[in-house]
Amino acid sequence: MTDYAIELSGVCKAYRFFDLQNVALRLQRGTIMGLIGPNGAGKSTTIRILMGLVYPDRGEVRVLGHRIPEEQVAAKWDIGFASDDMRLYDSMTLGWHINFMKSIFASWDDAYAQLLLKRFGLNAEQKIKGLSHGQRVKATLLLVFARRPKLLVLDEPTTGLDPVARHDILRELTGVMAEEGRSILFSSQNTQDVEQISDQITFIDRGRIIDSMDKEVYLDRWRRLRLEAPAGVELPALPGVIEIQQTGRLAIAIANAFEPQLPNAYENSGARVHAVENMTLEEIFVANVERSREQEVKA
Amino acid sequence: MKTNVVWRLVLKDWQLQSLLIIISIAAGVIALAALLLRGTTSLVLGSVFFFISMMFCACLLPITSIVNERKKQTLPFLMSLPVSASRYGAAKLLSTFGMFLVPWLTLLVAALYMILVRHVLPNGVIPVMLIVANLPFLGFCFIAGTALVGESEWWGNAAVATVNTSYWLVWYLLVSQVPSISRNWGSPVAVWAPAVVKILVVQFGLILLIPGLTLYLQSRKRNFV
Repeated sequence: MTDYAIELSGVCKAYRFFDLQNVALRLQRGTIMGLIGPNGAGKSTTIRILMGLVYPDRGEVRVLGHRIPEEQVAAKWDIGFASDDMRLYDSMTLGWHINFMKSIFASWDDAYAQLLLKRFGLNAEQKIKGLSHGQRVKATLLLVFARRPKLLVLDEPTTGLDPVARHDILRELTGVMAEEGRSILFSSQNTQDVEQISDQITFIDRGRIIDSMDKEVYLDRWRRLRLEAPAGVELPALPGVIEIQQTGRLAIAIANAFEPQLPNAYENSGARVHAVENMTLEEIFVANVERSREQEVKA
Repeated sequence: MKTNVVWRLVLKDWQLQSLLIIISIAAGVIALAALLLRGTTSLVLGSVFFFISMMFCACLLPITSIVNERKKQTLPFLMSLPVSASRYGAAKLLSTFGMFLVPWLTLLVAALYMILVRHVLPNGVIPVMLIVANLPFLGFCFIAGTALVGESEWWGNAAVATVNTSYWLVWYLLVSQVPSISRNWGSPVAVWAPAVVKILVVQFGLILLIPGLTLYLQSRKRNFV
């Protein structure tokens, strides 16, 4: 059995106005990966490719050891998939949907479904058309979670939810991971959500993966240094620094490979280091995207 | 043991569309009952409404069952289940054909009963009745196939419009270009003229060909959702 729940290599897909270029992605079993990207970055296309809903033009895709799209049916028995454009049948009750899923999946956990009904504040007798947006999202996720899948693939599941509903869902996602060997791929524009639960982070922009690594490593390697330069001196971008924004004597250096000796190096070059700050995932994401786009323009 | 998901999808569609099937059958049976009243008006009204109830089913079933799945975004939910695009297509064809055949066969048998047992019309009308009853069936195949392969409301609506306007053209061609039809429909016995048999063979051929072609095109899709 492979160590990876998801493996994509050299995946390309061309549309008229958008190209997914050479996407390579690996999600280790038992981990949560947050896939972050702006609108139109290629998150949904990537997820549709690994669900077998869109065939790649080139490249190899394996999910839970199954080749996709050829073996998608076998793979989908163990994949729980939900996306923000997924709807349930308006005229039917949540109970009807639960019975429908139960009739298909032998792994359906009735006790867990009942527990989720209570935790999410849902009523199985209620028709879907009577539910609010947040309740509909929770109902969809209930149907996915209670299947007890080995892999959860969630395409922007928290979009449009209020903070309480988001908290409920993220708590359940963390709970799902309590069971050994389960993996989650979680796409979102909300870096806070991703930061809260992910082990690994992958940034995607304009159809390309621009960076992918452990969350802790990301947060550890990225720093913002607030500096003061001597009059008339332009500070250099030292090794590990990707950007210097200098206005007069005040400067901000963004480091993506921060080393403890970096502040000393700036002190040695004559600058005063006022502060070394951690960056939020959102700041890292924005800096990463801007850098990637600048490089694209230069190329 | 793993569940047959195609079969579950078929059952799901039957549950969701049961009201439409019941309404179609009820409308057709009421139309046929009008024939029992005898008289030209009830004969014309009964025949027209009988045909309309079949057309109603032929047009609405593919729209509510196939087009709405995409329009109302329930398709991603189904595609999260262990099915491929071609298996989903097979399930859709099986369910919609089954749902159409129930009212279609019920109404056909009821119409034959009216002719053969209750003698509300002469037996000579049977060949043309079969040809006319096959038209909604053919129309249904065309609409269902187009809706499934075309993947949009526009294609579904275009197919419905095409089918509904072509009924009257086909009816005109049958009456004007196939003299054996109008010549024999008043006959006390059913006359199976070669032209009638040819038309029936072509109709049944198309009824088999269109779903086959639909499944083939569905299996070749590279972008599904």
